[in-house]
Amino acid sequence: MIDGEARLETVQTVAMSLTVNGEPWSGEVPVEEVLLDLLRGRIGLTGTKRGCESEVCGACEVLVDGAPVSSCNYLAFEADGRSITTIEGVGDGEQLHPVQEAFIRNAAAQCGYCTPGQIMSAVALLREDLSPTYESIAHWLVGNICRCGCYPAIARSIMEAASELRDSTNDHPR
Amino acid sequence: MLSPFRVVTPTTIPEAAAELDRLGDAAQIYAGGAELLLLMRHGLLEPDYLVNIKRVPSLRGIDWDGQALRIGAAVTHRELEQAALVHDHAPTLGEAERHVGNIRVRNQGTLGGNLCFADPHADPGTALLVHDATVTVEGARGPRQLPLDDFFVGTYETALEPSELLTEVQVTPLPDGWGWSFERLERFYRPTVNASAAVSADDGHLGQVRLAVGCVGPRALRLRELEDKLRGLRLADAQRAIAQSGPYLEERLEPVSDLLGAADYKIHVTSVLLGRALEQALAGTGGRQ
Repeated sequence: MIDGEARLETVQTVAMSLTVNGEPWSGEVPVEEVLLDLLRGRIGLTGTKRGCESEVCGACEVLVDGAPVSSCNYLAFEADGRSITTIEGVGDGEQLHPVQEAFIRNAAAQCGYCTPGQIMSAVALLREDLSPTYESIAHWLVGNICRCGCYPAIARSIMEAASELRDSTNDHPR
Repeated sequence: MLSPFRVVTPTTIPEAAAELDRLGDAAQIYAGGAELLLLMRHGLLEPDYLVNIKRVPSLRGIDWDGQALRIGAAVTHRELEQAALVHDHAPTLGEAERHVGNIRVRNQGTLGGNLCFADPHADPGTALLVHDATVTVEGARGPRQLPLDDFFVGTYETALEPSELLTEVQVTPLPDGWGWSFERLERFYRPTVNASAAVSADDGHLGQVRLAVGCVGPRALRLRELEDKLRGLRLADAQRAIAQSGPYLEERLEPVSDLLGAADYKIHVTSVLLGRALEQALAGTGGRQ
């Protein structure tokens, strides 16, 4: 896949294919490109934000095969063959995800810059545990910083969305 | 933006060692990238080559060989946090892993990367030291095994030779009936101080004692002189002895003042956390529910 012998003056690229929010994408990507730049620059999905670029703030969070990562510090070629979910893909068409609905209902954002990352963390948490506690929410979202200080509304939104998702799972057992 | 580099992708440990030998100073080992890419972004490292060891299958496993847990260097923090084998045989490590960075860092960062980066503000090393963990490193001249205590040298400094890579961490369970604990005070993700204890109980007194502390000075350390002093004491007497051991802790730990705390504050917090760690470990002796 990777040609390690070419001269350093030339850019080493990787031919890669991945799916983003269920849509396939293929292209050549320089090895030093991070996933954030692939998503925002090449694919045009700008919902994922550039923040601290140090894996601390969580604004750039996306899910890679369901697992949260900092796309600012994740080399794009690593996503070859994988499935990426960004904030644009958590809803179902025009239908927002229950976490998104709850964020709106609770005004869980002021400036909104951290919100995509907050929601990605919340969605990942609820995929793993539909009965979170305030403590488990704090443990999961400690890596999503909100400088507007909306944490109480964010946590309440996640609790409400969890409750809704539990109810709908009970209504429609799989 | 990251400065351009090239990636080489060995699929066996000897191949990886050969690449490191061939490329020398121009190469850095790339496992999860959680720490490495940050250093590159800030221009602190500008390697021409990354030797990607994630495609070496033998570096990705968590196995139990009947005596020790064998953890491949490229296993992620999240895998360790969730592994039943880790909770069965080295719950101290499982607890430490739960607190590393945040969920994204744990998904990306690896145990080997964490140990080799040797940032003093790290959690896994402290927990591993109370398990008397050993590590295997491998270079062009073959593998060698050494105690983790000898692998850590100083701030960002390990016993790795230039062409060597860390391949495996071996963790022996605590003896039957021992209790354990991992205590931590955190600011900005990285721990200000962490402390881990493992003890056996002997008729209401402390039996065997192992204590490790991290983040205070250049590297995580065992406190063997203090361990000897606490053996045979009742908890309250042991905690009093810890509270009075400030000068020893200061000499042993070489505290560094940094953004996470002043040196004298860290020593104070260390003695508080050690007292708690001891109490919690003792409460867990004789089998933990």
